Amino acid sequence: MTASKDDRRARFDAQVLPHLDAAYRFARWLARAPGDADDVLQEAMLRAFRAFDELRASDAKAWLLAIVRNCHLTMAAQRRRRGFVALPDEHDPQDGHHMMATAPDPECASIQRDHERILERLLAALPDEQREILMLREIAELGYREIASVTQLPIGTVMSRLARARAALKVRWFQDTGGKPRAVR
Amino acid sequence: MPCAESPQLEAYFDGELDALDAAALERHAARCGECRAGLAELERVRSALRRDLPYESTPPELRARILQALEREGASPAPPPSPMSSAGWRTRLAASRRPGFWAGAVGGFGAAAFAAAAVFLLWTPVGGGVVLDELVNAHVRSLMPDHLIDVVSSDRHTVKPWFAGHADVSPVVADFAPAGYPLIGGRADYLEHQRAAVVVYQHGAHLINVFSWRRGAARSRLPRDASRSGYHIMCWAAGDLDYCALSDAGWEELQGLVRLLETLSAADSRAP
Repeated sequence: MTASKDDRRARFDAQVLPHLDAAYRFARWLARAPGDADDVLQEAMLRAFRAFDELRASDAKAWLLAIVRNCHLTMAAQRRRRGFVALPDEHDPQDGHHMMATAPDPECASIQRDHERILERLLAALPDEQREILMLREIAELGYREIASVTQLPIGTVMSRLARARAALKVRWFQDTGGKPRAVR
Repeated sequence: MPCAESPQLEAYFDGELDALDAAALERHAARCGECRAGLAELERVRSALRRDLPYESTPPELRARILQALEREGASPAPPPSPMSSAGWRTRLAASRRPGFWAGAVGGFGAAAFAAAAVFLLWTPVGGGVVLDELVNAHVRSLMPDHLIDVVSSDRHTVKPWFAGHADVSPVVADFAPAGYPLIGGRADYLEHQRAAVVVYQHGAHLINVFSWRRGAARSRLPRDASRSGYHIMCWAAGDLDYCALSDAGWEELQGLVRLLETLSAADSRAP
């Protein structure tokens, strides 16, 4: 391997790899099955590496998430063409959550579980284009300009979709958690 | 339009207003209960999303697979340009918007949460996790009034000697104002049964606490980076010290400071 190749890889590791987790989370939100998200992420990282010379240093995260999104859309289209539609995982009544060791006691764990379920259901009820923007803002922590570049939308559209998503979530969250503000844990 | 639904309010909440507009909005909100309630609601939605959704980091075996693939890719000749970065994918977006698509994604969430929990357990064994929790607690405590700084100074020659009498370690201290990370002071804290030194930097609206203490039992279990309760944490070691930088700033911003400090602390630990 030549020195310049080593150098390119080192720069890639420094600029792009720190965003791997953000890319993984975004892929998990886009792809329906965990296996699909893994494939999307691996493909996206390879594409990112190949296209690395296009990157301007300041916006590595948005750049990577745009590639993840493109990979997801392309791979989802390929799967459909092959007539293969992955089945969603069976709903496990235990949901696997009993293995989570992050909550200190059973009561807390069960409240956490309830909130998680409510939130997942509310998010699922949002239109795709609103949810995507909400996740890019609140989970990936991108700014408006970056979200606009990832989704190829004007900033005004980003702002109005974000506002609609938040408003819908706010109202439903209020209803579903018993019509009163949540206690701070 | 009611105040609380103004796009200005949301732009302010998202940190998208420039300093002048932000100051104007703050002055207004000080008098307007509707705006204050609006901001509180936005914060509630945000904290629900950031706290109640399980945090998923890349599974270690997937990370390893990707690194391997990159290794192979780096060794092969330059590839053809990627067809996926071309236009045309937006038309495909429409095709993915069909009923059941998201139902599936959400149905898979239980399994994902399980996987995330399993990975979490493998990835951050108890020792490191406890230290990370201690760090987050110390950070949050430091943000309470009058807890942030014991010695206020942008001068390293003031901050560094102060630690000699107040902490068990002598970490690297520098003012990185030219790079956008001015030094604002230092503080002593208690971590892993010793008096840790905390150097406080500012970056824009964010505060960054840099903890340092003598390597404890949890070393080697501290992850390189982690997220807890919405805070970003980056850890590194130099000589016999452990360093952890913690902030609500973005990864990239935090990394900017960590890179500077890592270089400095590596040089410092080599010096006699």
